[in-house]
Amino acid sequence: MVRTLLVAIWLVVCSALGGAAAIAVADDAAVATDSAQQQVNRQAQQPLNNAPVWRGVRSGAAHSTQATGREAGVLIQSAGETWRQIRNGPITLIGGLLLILVPIAIALFYGLKGPLKLHGQPTGKLVQRFSSWERAIHWSTAIAFVVLAVTGVLLLFGKHILIPVIGHAGFAWFATIAKNVHNIVGPLFIFCVACMFIVFVRDNIWHGIDWEWLKKAPQVLSGKAHVPSGKYNAAEKGWFWGGVALLGLVVGASGLILNFPNFEQTRFTMQIANIVHGVGALLFVAASLGHIYMGTIGTEGAYKAMRTGYVDETWAKEHHELWLNEVKS
Amino acid sequence: MARMKFLCDAERCIECNGCVTACKNEHEVPWGINRRRVVTINDGQVGAEKSMSVACMHCSDAPCMAVCPVDCFYKTEDGVVLHDKDLCIGCGYCFYACPFGAPQFPASNASAPDGRSTDWFGARGKMDKCTFCAGGPEENGSQEEFAKYGRNRLSEGKLPICAEMCSTKALLGGDGDVLADIYRERVTVRGKGSEVWGWGTAYGKPDKQSDAGSATGKAEQSS
Ligand code: SF4
Ligand code: SF4
Repeated sequence: MVRTLLVAIWLVVCSALGGAAAIAVADDAAVATDSAQQQVNRQAQQPLNNAPVWRGVRSGAAHSTQATGREAGVLIQSAGETWRQIRNGPITLIGGLLLILVPIAIALFYGLKGPLKLHGQPTGKLVQRFSSWERAIHWSTAIAFVVLAVTGVLLLFGKHILIPVIGHAGFAWFATIAKNVHNIVGPLFIFCVACMFIVFVRDNIWHGIDWEWLKKAPQVLSGKAHVPSGKYNAAEKGWFWGGVALLGLVVGASGLILNFPNFEQTRFTMQIANIVHGVGALLFVAASLGHIYMGTIGTEGAYKAMRTGYVDETWAKEHHELWLNEVKS
Repeated sequence: MARMKFLCDAERCIECNGCVTACKNEHEVPWGINRRRVVTINDGQVGAEKSMSVACMHCSDAPCMAVCPVDCFYKTEDGVVLHDKDLCIGCGYCFYACPFGAPQFPASNASAPDGRSTDWFGARGKMDKCTFCAGGPEENGSQEEFAKYGRNRLSEGKLPICAEMCSTKALLGGDGDVLADIYRERVTVRGKGSEVWGWGTAYGKPDKQSDAGSATGKAEQSS
């Protein structure tokens, strides 16, 4: 089931790209004969004027060559410079700022409001919130995510942060490990996310009550109001759909394109995939910091729930009342 | 100080692939990797066919250098862009960024016996590219340098073998100012056709190719 899903996603992505490539190739062929004719005409009128040929050079189309290798027939590809500007510019800069500002914001929030505490006394009666299977999936995904985040951040920012400290040789040593670990853990992560989606989706379906929660979110988060919610509240569902499902799909699909260059995808495809991957991954990491905060020091008892699988009845009542009622009935 | 450049005269290149062969032989470049290649536009179309030889152009503001996550590129005093294979992690970013398709990877370029690429999980191997016959960071002329980067002709006072071997002298390699003078003279004799392909991309707009002068005296090349 999971595998079918993955293969399906992969096929959709591939066929979309393949279709685009086929159109591009057909266009190139038409342009080629066209420009040859233009060149012949131009030579007749103005000998040694090669303007049509120079346009061919700049077109990025593949011409004839005896050399084998990726896009060997392309003389100049201009998109590389654009990719460089985007990657070295906004992605590195805004992404870096995001990874600095989000933790600061969380620290400020923690400093000002403190953690969400229980209002009532724990009853001592425990309710099971996560089965061991659910916990196994959660923690495998979490560990894979952290490994990918750390190695990915290292590869994007290490040049600016670590090389000045540990030098080129030292950093290259880390970067070699980071790249290989990232590329091998990546597909495992996709598998984990797919499992997670299947197991957790049922309780993450959006209900009317979640709008209520969302409207009162500021009060709820500072412990001033209470809106009953099902097994997951609106924020958790937001993380599930926007983070795990959507960003998981985005970084997963773009990551596969980059991770398996053996399918002869063009540089342009990989430049796009790299940008999508970078933007998606940085948003994913930034959002995960919120999730990690709420699941550990931000909410009393939340970490224990995912660690042991059990929560106190008081905790369940205060955080997920509808779910508790359902479990009890 | 000389600023090393390559120049390929599309009016002279006859697609003999002598430069490609000379390079492979001189540096004992591994199977599947071509540091230099010849590309023909309008192949077989009478009156429209033009060939040009292309390798790393040793760009002024080199995109490969800018994107390398381990910062393994360096520029010599002569403006030659070299890299350190001991640092390279084979991420392929230089290949994404390079306008000329110069960076090559042993696992990507049909190096497997059955001619199929083996770069699964992004395992491309260490990047390999034209060194302007200037070797790498190892000691000049050493065994290690030869094994990783090929011969270091520049340190012996020789110019790149591809250009030296070019039978029509379409491909020139050396001090950019000298190349520009040679080319200007050719253009004057021919009367027309002053574009040098690739110079705008590799070395910037004609007025910014200050260390080379303008190849043509006219600011009209577009590639
Ligand atoms: S031609 Fe490519 S590999 Fe050579 S310096 Fe320019 S960007 Fe780098
Ligand atoms: S493949 Fe090597 S040289 Fe090229 S960008 Fe990656 S680490 Fe740098």
